[in-house]
Amino acid sequence: MDWQVFWTAVLAAIPAGTPYLYATLGEIYAERSGILNLGVEGMMIMGAVVGFGVTLSTGNPWLGFAAAALAGALLALIHAFVSITLRANQIISGLALTMFGLGLSGLLGRRYIGTPLPVRVREVPIPILSDIPLVGDLLFNHDPIVYLSFVLVPVLGFLLFHTRLGISIRSVGENPATADAMGVNVFRVRYLCTVWGGVLAGIAGAYLSIVYAPAWIEGMTAGAGWIAIALTIFALWSPYRALVGAYLFGGVKVLQYRLQPLGVSPNLLNTLPFVLTILVLLMATGEVRRRRIGMPAALGIPYSREER
Amino acid sequence: MTEKKRLSRRDFLKKAGIGAAAVTLAACAPQQTPTPQPTPQPEAKEKKLKAAFIYVGPIGDYGWTHAHEVARRYLEERYPWLETTYAESVPEGDAMRFIDRYIQEENADIVFTTSFGYMDDTIRAGEKYPDKIFFHCSGYKRRQNVGTYFAELYQLFYLNGLMAGALTQTNKVGYVAAHPIPEVVRHINAFALGVREVNPEATIDVRWLFSWFDPAKAREAAESLIATGVDALTFTEDSPTVIEVGQEYTEKGQPVYTFGHYSPMQQFGPDSVVSGRLVRWEVIYEDILAKVYAGVYTPENLADVDYWWMLKEKTVELGGEFGVPINPKFEDALKAKTVNDPLLGEISVYDLIFERLKAMSEPTVVFDPFTGPIKDQNGNVRIPEGRRATHDELWTIDWFVEGIVAEIPR
Repeated sequence: MDWQVFWTAVLAAIPAGTPYLYATLGEIYAERSGILNLGVEGMMIMGAVVGFGVTLSTGNPWLGFAAAALAGALLALIHAFVSITLRANQIISGLALTMFGLGLSGLLGRRYIGTPLPVRVREVPIPILSDIPLVGDLLFNHDPIVYLSFVLVPVLGFLLFHTRLGISIRSVGENPATADAMGVNVFRVRYLCTVWGGVLAGIAGAYLSIVYAPAWIEGMTAGAGWIAIALTIFALWSPYRALVGAYLFGGVKVLQYRLQPLGVSPNLLNTLPFVLTILVLLMATGEVRRRRIGMPAALGIPYSREER
Repeated sequence: MTEKKRLSRRDFLKKAGIGAAAVTLAACAPQQTPTPQPTPQPEAKEKKLKAAFIYVGPIGDYGWTHAHEVARRYLEERYPWLETTYAESVPEGDAMRFIDRYIQEENADIVFTTSFGYMDDTIRAGEKYPDKIFFHCSGYKRRQNVGTYFAELYQLFYLNGLMAGALTQTNKVGYVAAHPIPEVVRHINAFALGVREVNPEATIDVRWLFSWFDPAKAREAAESLIATGVDALTFTEDSPTVIEVGQEYTEKGQPVYTFGHYSPMQQFGPDSVVSGRLVRWEVIYEDILAKVYAGVYTPENLADVDYWWMLKEKTVELGGEFGVPINPKFEDALKAKTVNDPLLGEISVYDLIFERLKAMSEPTVVFDPFTGPIKDQNGNVRIPEGRRATHDELWTIDWFVEGIVAEIPR
């Protein structure tokens, strides 16, 4: 593989990895607050179909993204209500959300199949900076949603690790009883984080249908939501590491077609992202054990004041 | 544009069948206002034909199913004696249920099944309903009441190949392909034959999507081809994605030439689309339905009825839009490049394209791209000198011609 092929693969990895990045950032916040949401795939696909539909009917992709964020948030709200207020099993609720999202989006999206969008979200090269060789193309020649993710990563990282709000979120995820005693409103923090996760998952899905494809295809997330959940673990619940993981998977995705001429079976190449998922999880689990950090201690455990 | 062209044709037909149309309109109109009408033609009212269409995909705005639907609408308007019904997105294993419904509940006389995967169900339906007529699109199994039909594009792929070969600056041409089946392999070969005829230096690379419709994958595949230096691209996929990629690169100052597939797609890449392939299914449907209506086709005599229609029958048309065989933006470049043809002498590629188009459109089809000697990728002569590939050879082709640098996945 020559330099040109390699370099364009690196450049293509960023937009390809952007949906993973948004979804993973959202799941990191939900899990940091102690809520495991396996409904990422469902929230993403609903974001994709709602975002596409609204963009199609209004001609405004930003309204499409807003509607997708709202759709993701509403779905996440269901999960929040079931797992925080009703204290039900989070795994089952999350799986149900995924199935619900996949089914409903298929129904809603039937009429959008094969319909082109009237508008496009294009790259906006940043003046001067985009002229820098290599770095310019790598960082400063993208669409606005990619730029937003560049900003979101440090902002969300800072918020989580260096602010009062971040301490509240993390303490709720580690030890909700203590946090509660310290005066943190456990329920409010968990609700907020779960819904925020839905907002980002919705945007992730809409990026696929409005910017990346751009088209509506039934089941178009094709497991991206599950990869985001694996990436959350790989990232050790840190937004910064999520960036690395997301682009790694974006890179694998675009490599598929660049490796085809080498004679590798295309069917085998299609399994690459999932093989990588397993590898990444193995690595992450090893690291969690070694460094004794990682999973929020109260992840997946419903909190009840009476049981304090 | 599509509509313009269709309208003019429609107008002509309307003049021809205006009396009959008036009768049907009157029959359909609400009955409370009886207006005086010319004497109705009795036979137009008496004998009606009901045709059902089974589609594999959603109709959408372009692509395979859409092209069939355009034909269905056109014919329903054209023939007052014709009534149609259709079902979209019918899974390939589920055709029988729909055929049962159309025949038992809606009394359809003829059923068109428009996907390869419906083949066995269509034959079974033919056995179950021996007094009904069935037509299966793109298959090879027939019986006394089941015929087959297909609008074949390889001649157009060849013509597009001539253009791609003349326009490429890098001598690298790409093809984003759906599935490794004979139909697609034949089209890649025809395209490659065109490319190499005017540019023996050029190579043709292929990426396989393993999907008939997946814009995201088509984009990744197209970009990966461009990354290897490809600057002319065509495809088999049901969306204009490859064209949009070509247009984006062209706008950024890196020209990528593309060719539309199945539907008018020039609008998606006005600076990138050179030409393309268009299908008029209505030509075939018209012939079938008129013959069924006239009693030429009966449930007893279809065992050898196989439509394999191309340019000669005007079932397919060259262009990125109906009536625009070559985007005017590329005319000069195609006129500037000349080649030496053994029969035509020194000739510009532009003229060569129209010579070939004319030759393939003639009733005797005096030219065929699959005329020997044709070698495969390993240099073995597959079609000997002076012989044309037969229908069966083309129908089952599973090897690539010389110049293609990709492999067919097994």
